[in-house]
Amino acid sequence: MHGSISGWLTIILKRDLLIAFRKSSTYITPLVFFLIVVTFFPLALGPQESLLSSLAPGVIWIAALLASLLAVETIFSDDFRDGTLDEFFISLEPSFILVFAKVLIHWLITGLPILFASLIAAIVLYLPFESFIPMLLSLILGTSFMSLLGALGAALSLGRSAILSAIIVLPFSIPTLLMGTSVISSSLTNQDFSGFLMIMGAMLAIGIPLLCLLTVEALLLNYE
Amino acid sequence: MLPNLKVENLSCVRSNKVVFENINFEVFPGENLEIIGSNGSGKTTLLRTILGLIKPEKGIINWLDENDKFNDFRTFECFYQGHQLGIKNLLTVYENLKLTHGAKGMDENKIYECLERVGLMRINELASNLSVGQRKRISIARWLVKNFKIYFIDEPFSALDDEATSMIEHLIQELNSKGCSFVITGHRPSQVKANRISI
Repeated sequence: MHGSISGWLTIILKRDLLIAFRKSSTYITPLVFFLIVVTFFPLALGPQESLLSSLAPGVIWIAALLASLLAVETIFSDDFRDGTLDEFFISLEPSFILVFAKVLIHWLITGLPILFASLIAAIVLYLPFESFIPMLLSLILGTSFMSLLGALGAALSLGRSAILSAIIVLPFSIPTLLMGTSVISSSLTNQDFSGFLMIMGAMLAIGIPLLCLLTVEALLLNYE
Repeated sequence: MLPNLKVENLSCVRSNKVVFENINFEVFPGENLEIIGSNGSGKTTLLRTILGLIKPEKGIINWLDENDKFNDFRTFECFYQGHQLGIKNLLTVYENLKLTHGAKGMDENKIYECLERVGLMRINELASNLSVGQRKRISIARWLVKNFKIYFIDEPFSALDDEATSMIEHLIQELNSKGCSFVITGHRPSQVKANRISI
């Protein structure tokens, strides 16, 4: 049974990526939202390089955070509606793997495009080239953690209003926001930012098992 | 011969309302059980309770393991087909079968064979373009991807024409001969040879 876990994970990944590819709004909406929010700042504040680069860490991170929450509601809702979720829980495979796969897919269709778009955002906001790597590293760790949190929010608000999952998730995303912006701000002032990245990495390492298990329990609540 | 599933005094209460109580039955290999009841009588809840999706108020659900011992946990795969058929609208007929849990490692020929058995020829058609009956046929094709010990099918004969109904009856008979059992629900007794309980 356990030898087939990777096979099962592959089936879920293939299936959901194929569906996401055919439903392009899933990955285009967060991407466009992120780019619109970021490009509105130079339009509203004017093209002053020093002002925009000092605001860049906060702007990029708030836009990334909100954009990654846009598709959160869909993580489990389709599977719940069409009965696939029942099949997952009835199968003998660990439910943890299902949740992990769904989080990974959510990151691939929202987090990954945001990473690429953040490079455009960095140029638009006059972020120095030296800050690109710290920005990307913080976004990789931060958006992954946001996908984990989003899955828990989506499981708790399954079958209810889409905005509810965002309301559940946003307060818990504050530490990620603070660490993420601190990484970019520190790199702007040539300070050591590795400590912030390590905290973000630790949050992710603890979050993967803990939040996946909590999400499984939250999903099962919907059957009671 | 021992039953694969033994249910004793099973009761379920939801929102302070008794859905069903003191349900007893056994499911032997190659035999079927039909649960008869009107709309809202708790047929679906009973299936979901047996499969562990809903906690029972009281009662025992025993599953036979490979050492011929009864446990309160299951060690073999079952197939469940609820009212929602587990069909993905944005996948084709073929993909819906290929990317299903039971079809892990199954070769293409077997998939074509399963689809042919249920009379589905438009294999590259998106499931969203199919009628309810045709979508149900995809789900029925999934019965054949692997021999499950017990199939739990919620109202298998609803939304189907006479030809499809007869096909299902034959499939159930065929799978019974391989030792597979069916637990099905319905509003009235079907033509399937089965033990029956009413709730």
